Amino acid sequence: MTTAPETHTTRKTVIEAHDIVKRFGGAVAVDHVSIAVGAGEIHAVVGENGAGKSTLMRILAGILTPDNGGVSVDGIVLEPGAKASLEAGIALVHQELSLIPEMTVAENILLGSTPTKFGAIDSARQRKIAADALDQIGVSVDLNERVSRLSVALRQFVEIARAVARSPRVLILDEPTATLTPAETDYLLNMLQRLAAKGLAIIYISHRIPEVFRICERATILRDGKVVDNLIIADTTPNAIIDKMVGRELKLDLQTRRIANPGAVVLSARGIRAFRVNGIDLDVRAGEIVGIGGLVGAGRSELVRAIIGVDPRTAGTATITVDGQTKNIVGYRSAVRAGIGFVPEERRTEGLALEMSVADNITLPNRAALSKAGFLQRGKITEFATRLAAEVGLRPPEVGRDAGQYSGGNQQKVVIAKWLGREPKLIVLDEPTRGVDVGAKAEIHRLLRGLADGGTAVLVISSDLPELLELSDVIHVVRDGRIMGTLSPDEANERSVMALAAGEKVASSS
Amino acid sequence: MTESGTQLKAAPVNGTPVEGIVKRQASVITWVASRGIFIFTGVLLVFSVIFVNGFASSVNIIDVFHRASAIGIVAIGMTFVVISANYIDLSVVAQVATAGVILLALSPTYGVLGAMAIALFFALLYGVVNGVSVGFLKANAVVVTLGTTGIGAGILSLLTTGTIYYGPENGPIDAFGDARVGPFPLSAFVLILVAVIASIVLSRTKFGFMIRSYGSNKQATRLAGVNSGGVVVGAFVLTSIAAMIAGFVLAAYSNTAVATMSEGFDFRALAAVIIGGNSLFGGRGSILRTFLGVIFISVLSNILVLSGFSFAWQQLVTGAVIVFAVALDALARKAEKR
Repeated sequence: MTTAPETHTTRKTVIEAHDIVKRFGGAVAVDHVSIAVGAGEIHAVVGENGAGKSTLMRILAGILTPDNGGVSVDGIVLEPGAKASLEAGIALVHQELSLIPEMTVAENILLGSTPTKFGAIDSARQRKIAADALDQIGVSVDLNERVSRLSVALRQFVEIARAVARSPRVLILDEPTATLTPAETDYLLNMLQRLAAKGLAIIYISHRIPEVFRICERATILRDGKVVDNLIIADTTPNAIIDKMVGRELKLDLQTRRIANPGAVVLSARGIRAFRVNGIDLDVRAGEIVGIGGLVGAGRSELVRAIIGVDPRTAGTATITVDGQTKNIVGYRSAVRAGIGFVPEERRTEGLALEMSVADNITLPNRAALSKAGFLQRGKITEFATRLAAEVGLRPPEVGRDAGQYSGGNQQKVVIAKWLGREPKLIVLDEPTRGVDVGAKAEIHRLLRGLADGGTAVLVISSDLPELLELSDVIHVVRDGRIMGTLSPDEANERSVMALAAGEKVASSS
Repeated sequence: MTESGTQLKAAPVNGTPVEGIVKRQASVITWVASRGIFIFTGVLLVFSVIFVNGFASSVNIIDVFHRASAIGIVAIGMTFVVISANYIDLSVVAQVATAGVILLALSPTYGVLGAMAIALFFALLYGVVNGVSVGFLKANAVVVTLGTTGIGAGILSLLTTGTIYYGPENGPIDAFGDARVGPFPLSAFVLILVAVIASIVLSRTKFGFMIRSYGSNKQATRLAGVNSGGVVVGAFVLTSIAAMIAGFVLAAYSNTAVATMSEGFDFRALAAVIIGGNSLFGGRGSILRTFLGVIFISVLSNILVLSGFSFAWQQLVTGAVIVFAVALDALARKAEKR
């Protein structure tokens, strides 16, 4: 901890939102929320998915107009609309990157406020403003580089430079570290502290409680659109905040490590090459949870997708062995037929048909078993889906409802349930709990352990290090499309995994 | 059946609070987009019966059915392609004419059943070529079917050189065209039969489910291990078979066939599908909707004719209704995205 943060009462309030209400149809997304942030303060807004954080931020930035209440900056109430908010100095760094890949860094930083001279773009001034913004956040990157050539982290920093270039009074960041490595996160957090020290009011939305404790002075906790509490960070604990977010005492799932009892090799991949994959061998045994660690962009998703035939591979073979019979995996459909289940990274675009019912989604890969002479057997389908929904703990267990109406955690349970019905020999999960709330995450973990205990081979990719460490019986760390190291549970910790992922030499005495 | 608009009062499970459902309420727009066609068709029918002279006469009703049946059968087939993932099949124009001409030109030589079998071969050819190009080669459906229309219509004109084919007087084809059950022509029953079968295929069979699932999310369906290219081929084949049946019905009605007999069928069939409220974004829709869409546009053109409006007015009004239906669909999608 650095010097004790001043309490907010001593700060001059910069942005204040008063009694904000926002409804979408009949659902109340933000329910009488008030929040005030002072100059030089970093203020955390935390809550589970769907708590109303992002909606509140979009109201603060003028993108959405509230049904009740208003936003003021320096005591002056803002007109509705994004333009007024921007002019008042509120800058929002979006959760999804909003840069234009084909344009240069300088063009992107000035996007929307491109300086002109006699109607033509004033590129000299454009470059100067962009360079100043990058200087302020302490990032050096070639102004003429096209954004498509930058790493994810650099893009994130360019996005922040874009906000800073407008000389804002208030900077709002929505999950800025979701795709960053620990080192990059560290850099970003320091950067925010420097910006705050210059008197900027910063609103910081994050799932990651340690980050909140490191840089924030106060935290506003949202649940179901309401403010549950407003705490001074120095006076509270991470567990207290998590309990308030969840609204119930969370029994942390600190069960003793599962005793893995791996059986025969189920999946065997040799010499796999594909886009971003440069020659990988990999085995997964029955009853074993194999974790794949590494940074975003290291080739982890590409690796598993190439192995199971979702995407083409340029070299290498993969086989699946079930009941002593070994089959080549030649394409994705043959992989599914042989007993592989795949839970993709992008739940909404690849995992579910959101407008179809939960029952339809769950039974999609199982239709053959549930139809007779080509005709669907509705009774069987409902029964089948209801059984699996109960197995994965879907809440509420109404399988006739559209999948899109469920929250992220429940949707992920549906994607998993879909494969459980086939009793897979190998289940592959790419980021199984991304965007999933704490409670559902624990349930999904329990489910995966149960599968492995029952003899299923499990292959998990995760960027969530604690998750990877907690689940895996063995961790392969991938960098640049190669396995850089393999760690047993005894060797694996956040440091050893990140060291391999980031390309440092592994210290043998860990 | 639960509506998406109902607020869920979720019962707690095992004493834990339930936060699983994202609450959503239907807006007026989504309601009209999903239910509108039922109301509009009903209102139009009541209006026509009360206010339009001659509409309720049995002669006129037979005429409406005659006009509606061929276009309706094509539209029902097209529904599969639209629901399977917002594809459209423009080649139905050439397909209807091909089937009609083959039936009348070749039945003297090969018999009616022989001619039908030859027509079926060409229908399957159309379906497979369109389906493989779109489903496996991932070509654009509009461009592919425009291309196959050109090829098919071109070959047909070259071979027929503008000949008008007549069926033999009082032959089986002529008899079918003239037959009535009560006041209704047989073609109306063919339309209803096709609608019932298509509806069962779409809602009750594994194949129909795959079409709806693929239309709702292509990638998720592929990743569930479904042969997604095969689903697309199947949808195009069903469309082609429907177009063939429509060709038979159309030829039998007047006992004549010519290469240009089905001009405008692409536009009118698509109009019926869209007006019925089947989403052009894929995934959503039903055969009943298309059926109502056909009734709606057929009645609409009929009352315009009865009221003395020209063909140009019919075109204009149909076009306006389509724009309205498509805009409604797009607005409803937007409203649902919160």
